[in-house]
Amino acid sequence: MPVHESDVCIIGGGISAAVLALKLSELRPGISITVIEAGNKLFDLENRMRYRQRSIEYAENPWPGDFIEDQTAKGVISRTMAVGGSALHWGGTCNRFSEEDLRLKSMFGLYTDWPIEWAELEKFYCEAERRLGVSGEPSPHPEDRRSEPYPMAAMAMTHNLIELRRWAEKTGIPFQTTPQAKNTQPYDGRAQCIRCNTCTICPTGARYSPDFTFKRLLARKNFALHERTLVRKLVLAEGRPAVAAAQAVHRDRPEEALEYRAPVFVLASGYCWSPHLLLLSACSRFPNGLANSSGLVGRYLCGHAFLSAFIEIDARIYPGMNEQHGLISRQFFRVPRGGGFVRHDLRVWESASGHEPRLRAGDGRVLLGDALLADWRARSRRGTARVRGYYDVHPDRESSLTLDDSARNRWGDPMPAIRHRPDAATEAREPAVREHFRALFDRLAKNDNGKILSTSAGNYWDHPAGGCRMGTDPAASVTDSFGQTHDHENLFVVGSPTLPNAGCTNGTLTFTALTLRSAERIAERFRRNG
Amino acid sequence: MQRRTLLSWMAALGIGRAQEPFPGGQAANLRALARVVLPSAVDAASAADGFAQWVRGYRAGAEMDHGYGFTRLRTKPALPVASYAKQLAALGPEPSAEAVAAALEEAKVAELPRTPDGRHVASDLMAWYFRSSDANDLCYRAAIGRDKCRALAGSENPPKELR
Repeated sequence: MPVHESDVCIIGGGISAAVLALKLSELRPGISITVIEAGNKLFDLENRMRYRQRSIEYAENPWPGDFIEDQTAKGVISRTMAVGGSALHWGGTCNRFSEEDLRLKSMFGLYTDWPIEWAELEKFYCEAERRLGVSGEPSPHPEDRRSEPYPMAAMAMTHNLIELRRWAEKTGIPFQTTPQAKNTQPYDGRAQCIRCNTCTICPTGARYSPDFTFKRLLARKNFALHERTLVRKLVLAEGRPAVAAAQAVHRDRPEEALEYRAPVFVLASGYCWSPHLLLLSACSRFPNGLANSSGLVGRYLCGHAFLSAFIEIDARIYPGMNEQHGLISRQFFRVPRGGGFVRHDLRVWESASGHEPRLRAGDGRVLLGDALLADWRARSRRGTARVRGYYDVHPDRESSLTLDDSARNRWGDPMPAIRHRPDAATEAREPAVREHFRALFDRLAKNDNGKILSTSAGNYWDHPAGGCRMGTDPAASVTDSFGQTHDHENLFVVGSPTLPNAGCTNGTLTFTALTLRSAERIAERFRRNG
Repeated sequence: MQRRTLLSWMAALGIGRAQEPFPGGQAANLRALARVVLPSAVDAASAADGFAQWVRGYRAGAEMDHGYGFTRLRTKPALPVASYAKQLAALGPEPSAEAVAAALEEAKVAELPRTPDGRHVASDLMAWYFRSSDANDLCYRAAIGRDKCRALAGSENPPKELR
């Protein structure tokens, strides 16, 4: 059986693995690092303009081959498995959480606190923003103070966003542009954004994706990337609770078992596949799975719920100027004294909703040619704002990932089943949250002759995380604040699984910051000249 | 999977099947249809040619996007090019708006498809054009260039007006 040895073995090849490996290689240039990723390596930047064009013209997958057909989960919200992970096709949004997210218990008597101070996290937010290349503008709220400016000036507001901000701020709610990992100037060897309007397949590299970091790593002699390699089990050392090996299989040689050995293992496979692998690795000494003496591996899966509205207003909006750049208000990250607990962000984007071409007039007549165009123009005189709030929900212990014996991959491994469930306090305040949003949407629609075209509630929790939550108490958490598992001193979990709760805005920057902090702890295990 | 099963799946999806020539003998009828279903400001002949090129570039069996929040893996179905030809022949060289509307009713096309979906050549030609960046510009009489890559500088201004 082929055996691969390295100093640090990272399982999973997404954004967390990329930033962790790069920082480790900088802190300890002498150590060897292997990243194992089950999916394909899609490093063909030169083809992305063509993929983008096929996606626009034919609705084809702009990331061909970014999945594994039989490696899926009930309840998962992304099929992407490739080197770079979901951050290959993310929108690049880099919002920070706020201190409230880390202090739910002590500030509001809800759920739990994080085992890390805000000031400590803020330091690593700055580093994450530098490494990803974030463009942004300061928040108008003093509570959002930063110790460093954004690395790049904010993306210019389009005419559409200027109009929408003017409208939205008539409510008295301050908005700012959303910070994004998109270059507003050439940065870190990547190009300036040229507003292709397809950020999920950025054809120029102006939006950060982890493949750029992996390409840089591959130029180093002590770095190896093993793609198309699925780790199926972690194996403990004889007589001690340390991980000795990762057992894997290469997808092109399914009959051949592989083994990876290292003094340090890091799970960086996301909220789904990290807890899944720990559960799959059950053995006689840990019959409920590795790192699971608390019974919390796969538990407290979190995310945030969301409510949306399309609001038509008197504004000249030209759909398509830069649809994926939007506005955010952080006003509702704080909970007013004496009010109920309702925390959320508030986002606004340009939209064509309600103003799209249609085949039939209101009376059912078929519209063709000039008649269709005239109808379309008549309905497009006003503009539409897409409004969304991600709101803070807290998971119950039963919000879980479990092994589903009824669904197995080609190797017979049970696949995960994911079921999000809010805790009792979250459920109890749901009517008040809905009422709050109804009033908020009405408040927005009061200006510029606004009309709410539609409202909707998300039917899943977005930006999912958790499953290996961090904490100080080994009975109530899976890892410490560095991602080191309580049960196995050489096994770390980094990235989204360690988040106890998912806040009320996008989480990528937060778990990237935490991963950079973990890198320093992992590096301490090796001599500086090691 | 057995080879026979694989081949039957591929046949059903149209994978590996040579794309039938389009518009073949129906080029004139396709242009005539474009004159009826597209705005008069559009060059119907070149739009018809553009649609024909789009049909020829279509790849049955290609992966479709399985983006965030939408996890089912799907592939592009085959385009009914033979049906297109029959529909064009049935509409003839000088189709009236009424005849096109009747054909769409018969094909039970209720809405403009997001992308051409093979139900009728008229609605697919319309979807191909009216969902395009060029049509968006025509509607707003502005050079928005939704699907183009454009500089950030100047984007704070409304797009240039088109006359």
